[in-house]
Amino acid sequence: MAATYDLTPKLIPYLDRHLVFPLLEFLSMHKIYPEIDLLKAKYELLAKTNMVDFISMLYKTIHDTEEVPKEFATKRDEVLQTLENLQAEAQKVLDIIENPEVISALRQDKLQNLNFLKEKYGLTDKMLNTLYQFGQFQYNCGNYGGASDMLYHFRVLSTDHELNVSALWGKLASDILDSNWESALEEVQKLKDTIDQKNFTSPLHQLQQRTWFIHWSIFVFFNHPKGRDSIIDVFFTPSYINTIQTACPWILRYLTTAVVTNKRKKSILKDLVKIIQQESYEYRDPITEFIESLYVKFDFEGAQHKLKECEKVLSNDFFLVATLPEFVENARYLISETYCRIHLKIDISGLSQTLNLDQEAGEKWIVNLIRDTRVDAKIDFKENTVIMNQNHTSIYQQVIERTRGLSFRSQILASTIEKREAHQSASTTEAVE
Amino acid sequence: MSRFFRGGSDSESDEEDEIISSNEEEEESDDDHISDSSDEPTSKPAAGAKSKFLKDAESESEESDIDEKREVKSAKDKKQDALESSIKTIENAKKINDWVAIQNEFEKLNKNVSKSFGSIGMPRVYIKTIASLEDFLNEALQKEKEKEAKKKMNATQAKALNSMKNKIKKIVRQFEDEVERWRQNPVESEEEPDEDVDIEKPTSTNHEELSSNEVPDDEGFEQVGKGKKPIEFTSDNLFKKLREILEARGKKNTDRLEQIKVLQKLLGVAATPYQQIRVLLALIPSQFDYYPGMSSYMNVDMWKSTQKEINQLLTILETNLHFAIHDLVEEEEEDDKEPVIEPGQTYSIRGSIVSFIDRLDDEFTKSLQNIDPHTTDYVDRLKDETELYATIVRGQIYFEKNDLNESTSRVIMRRLEHLYYKPDQVIQTVENTVSQSLPSNLKSSITPPAITQDSSDLIHALCVYLYKKGESLLRTRAMLCHIYHHALHNRFYIARDMLLMSHLQDNIQLSDVGTQILHNRTMVQVGLCAFREGMIKESQSCLQEICGTGRVKELLAQGLQLQKYSQLPPEQEKLDRQRQLPFHMHINLELLECAYLTCSMLLEIPAMAAAGSNPEARKKVISKPFRRMLDYNERQVFSGPPENTRDHIMGAAKALAAGEWQKCQELISAIKIWDLMPETQKIKDMLGRKIQEEGLRTYLFTYSSYYTTLGLEQLSTMFSLPVNTVTSIVSKMIWNEELAASLDQINNVVVLHRVELTKVQQLALMFAEKATSFVEANERTLEQKQAVGQNQRDQQRQKGQTNQQNTEKRTMYQKRDGQQQRSRNNFNNGLGNSVRGRIQQNRYRS
Repeated sequence: MAATYDLTPKLIPYLDRHLVFPLLEFLSMHKIYPEIDLLKAKYELLAKTNMVDFISMLYKTIHDTEEVPKEFATKRDEVLQTLENLQAEAQKVLDIIENPEVISALRQDKLQNLNFLKEKYGLTDKMLNTLYQFGQFQYNCGNYGGASDMLYHFRVLSTDHELNVSALWGKLASDILDSNWESALEEVQKLKDTIDQKNFTSPLHQLQQRTWFIHWSIFVFFNHPKGRDSIIDVFFTPSYINTIQTACPWILRYLTTAVVTNKRKKSILKDLVKIIQQESYEYRDPITEFIESLYVKFDFEGAQHKLKECEKVLSNDFFLVATLPEFVENARYLISETYCRIHLKIDISGLSQTLNLDQEAGEKWIVNLIRDTRVDAKIDFKENTVIMNQNHTSIYQQVIERTRGLSFRSQILASTIEKREAHQSASTTEAVE
Repeated sequence: MSRFFRGGSDSESDEEDEIISSNEEEEESDDDHISDSSDEPTSKPAAGAKSKFLKDAESESEESDIDEKREVKSAKDKKQDALESSIKTIENAKKINDWVAIQNEFEKLNKNVSKSFGSIGMPRVYIKTIASLEDFLNEALQKEKEKEAKKKMNATQAKALNSMKNKIKKIVRQFEDEVERWRQNPVESEEEPDEDVDIEKPTSTNHEELSSNEVPDDEGFEQVGKGKKPIEFTSDNLFKKLREILEARGKKNTDRLEQIKVLQKLLGVAATPYQQIRVLLALIPSQFDYYPGMSSYMNVDMWKSTQKEINQLLTILETNLHFAIHDLVEEEEEDDKEPVIEPGQTYSIRGSIVSFIDRLDDEFTKSLQNIDPHTTDYVDRLKDETELYATIVRGQIYFEKNDLNESTSRVIMRRLEHLYYKPDQVIQTVENTVSQSLPSNLKSSITPPAITQDSSDLIHALCVYLYKKGESLLRTRAMLCHIYHHALHNRFYIARDMLLMSHLQDNIQLSDVGTQILHNRTMVQVGLCAFREGMIKESQSCLQEICGTGRVKELLAQGLQLQKYSQLPPEQEKLDRQRQLPFHMHINLELLECAYLTCSMLLEIPAMAAAGSNPEARKKVISKPFRRMLDYNERQVFSGPPENTRDHIMGAAKALAAGEWQKCQELISAIKIWDLMPETQKIKDMLGRKIQEEGLRTYLFTYSSYYTTLGLEQLSTMFSLPVNTVTSIVSKMIWNEELAASLDQINNVVVLHRVELTKVQQLALMFAEKATSFVEANERTLEQKQAVGQNQRDQQRQKGQTNQQNTEKRTMYQKRDGQQQRSRNNFNNGLGNSVRGRIQQNRYRS
């Protein structure tokens, strides 16, 4: 069950090696897959990186030996050698940049800065690129903080667009792995702007970039406190929702969770329901099914079953595990809200059952609900029911609502026409002259 | 006929005569010779082996003739025949003084004679003719002079006479001696030819048939005169003949059928692959050209032979890899020689096989369009499709091998168009037959045999190739075919996604009519697919656009619509006729209409019930044709039992509106046409379920104002739906604010809050709505005007820079005034609307 709803295999193709690693760690913690398979997977994953020490450790665990092939040693030396070289080169650039005089002389304009540095300090493009290479190398070695710094410096100075974009991706990955969520969120925003603005040669390429972006950004969105607002904002923009629908419908799980756990964005729910319905032939899991049975089928019992399944799925999802209590709480809200809107009289015990609570807790829950003025209702204690107060908007109110603002709009209209006429007469005289 | 071509063989003519006559005598025993002589090399006649070669060629041509079950006259016969007939015509013309005919015939005669006899040894008949003609001419000229004053000859005759005068003079000078000799002793000279005539008479069995092919030719020069010397169709002079034919092609009065026959004979003679290719390249198009009109179609036999010839061409090309046919090759000057091919090199010949295949396919379609689909002829013709398909596949493989991308795309498109609308089994059978019929060494890389086993894979492979390589039109068509295929296999979501993602619908109006028809077909098929899958709403919206117009036939190219006020120009109608799809590709229109109306019923009846007495909501029509039919049906005083599909649906709709879902279900499932759908029972069950649900909804809408509560249990028994479903449907209606009600969980009832609005309230609401839409309309108008004004100002600025400032500006202002007027009209329209609205309100009030 846990394995069927595990999205890791689907996510991995769209992630960087280093980003996959935490996912695998998480999986091994939850023991969803056999331990040895995961170890092998980790080994495969990291074999191409420069984290030699860690790889050799993995090798030992997998093969249960103390012997390590010689290649590791040679590779280790090589890596250290390159590291030193690059560091030395990068240091030169850093010395220039970190010079207080230089910092004070730097301006907003990149090109100007670069020219200034080139003239005064003999900075070359090649030297700049070493910054990039060094950053990449450090990233490969697992030194994400250092990589992030290097790439930051590089981006400040370099004018090479392609490399800048790569640096942006690199920095995002470094920040994610460094758990530096604040700056990661910034990077996400920048990256999104770059992807949206850049003219891609083929729409397919853009789609790919967006897909990558969506996957990487989940890391940030579910770890940054404000992330769940932004995930809704970003993913519901037409281009991204299209990307999700075409390339990676499984992201709907994260989107759904974000919407459910977000108290302020309830209005988006209708759109979400529509999308889930549309994509239901391509992707479904307990979380989308929960929404479906609640808002499409109005099957409250089904929703309750799904909610139970959701708990299991969420607890096994790397990104969503933290949102579990919040999700359950909000899901209950949704159920009771819908329930109350449809029903006139509700049996408290029935509702409690639907909400997966016992009688007493259910009652408490409802009282809280009423107290928070989410619903207009009273409890009839004797009959153990909740009675909802139906409030119809009266016809008068409807008419008032519909006609409100009409006069204002007409006024605007009139003034525009006046302005136009004035302008026209002016231009006529001009023409006559 | 230019003398140049004849140069080599002039001296041979006498020898030839002898050989021929000997051949003739031995005709019966010739069959034995053939087996011997045909083995001998034919391509390079050595000077010494001339006679042998000639004999050989002769026997070979006979061989091919035997194949065709047709006997051919010997050359001698024909020559003699032609001569005689020409002379006879001249004699006849002489009698009536028709100089034009004389001139024509004389030219023909000259040509024939010079061709077949050369300058030496002119037949005596000929000489005699010349002599008598000269006499006659002189006589005529004499007469002419005499009666000049009285009566003038008509202009053309006079002209012919004059040119004859010159010609005769020339010819007579040429054959001065002979003519002189003949004049001296006419009787003796005439004996000789008589012998020939005697000999030939018994053998010339089909004189008439062949000479009937000879058509008097006005221009004459290019006339090939096939009937006159078939004996000379040898591989040696093949190129010359070919060139003659090619030159005659397309000229007025060229007998196409005759050309085809000549070419077929040439094909029989052609010895080397190169010659065969050349002949085929001429023969195939001339067969296509035989039926020039767009409306007439190639007869089936000719089509079949053409198809065989295309196959033959492909076979030659497949086995002789050093020949390639492109349409980019320059036409060489020296056509007549066998090209020297160095090993490893390919020799390119100008031509386009893909256009042959295209044309073959088109002719096939044309013939299907013209054959009555309800006859066995049609079925027989349809059987040829497999062979045609095999040719297409073969062509595809050839193009693939030779990297002719454009041709490959075109031919793949053809292939796709033969496949996309067919069910799996048919495709598989066809594919199997084709793969067996093809030589085993031919394998396509685009469609390897593994793929052809599964129709979806095959179509996918073909389409993907076109997406990658094809030009945009082919891509569009491929996409449509692909979608059609998915829809046919009930893969609605995939079809829909492809349709949406390709953005085809945005610019389909810009494409050609054929593609639009394909698009319409695809839309209809997607709609039917949705219907089969039970997605009523989707189905309705897909079919709406096409079925709603009432021009379904026309839109799907399945027959011409008889329009009441049809004033189509005949050309237009002709074009329309050409676009018609052959019958076997048709989508059943009755089924289509039935599905559409059923969908409309399931959507429209609850919507009408929901609208209730609210006139505004009633105006929102989902399906116009359905409403119209329903109105019509309701207006009838007596309505009998349902007879056709429409009656059934109308009856069902009424029953549904009245809450009698069972009757509705009965009526719907009584429709016979459902049997055409696969899995009929499943579809009927699905419809039954939908009818129950929609019946419940309609019931709730219609009667909600008369009840305070309704028991859920009761509803569930009324519509024989499980309580859960009822609850869910009711909940949905409440949630969507369609029904003012709520559920009472304790008593298990629906509590209805619906309050009927008083008239004043209703009107107030309506008025508010009107006011809003009025303001909106105003805003829109202003926006539009502003946009227009801006454009004009821009234009003005630009034009201001030109020299003709003033005049330009004046016209501009006039234009702008006009526009203001128009926009005022718009304004009036807006007012008009609201006024009409008010009148309506009054009507409702009273």
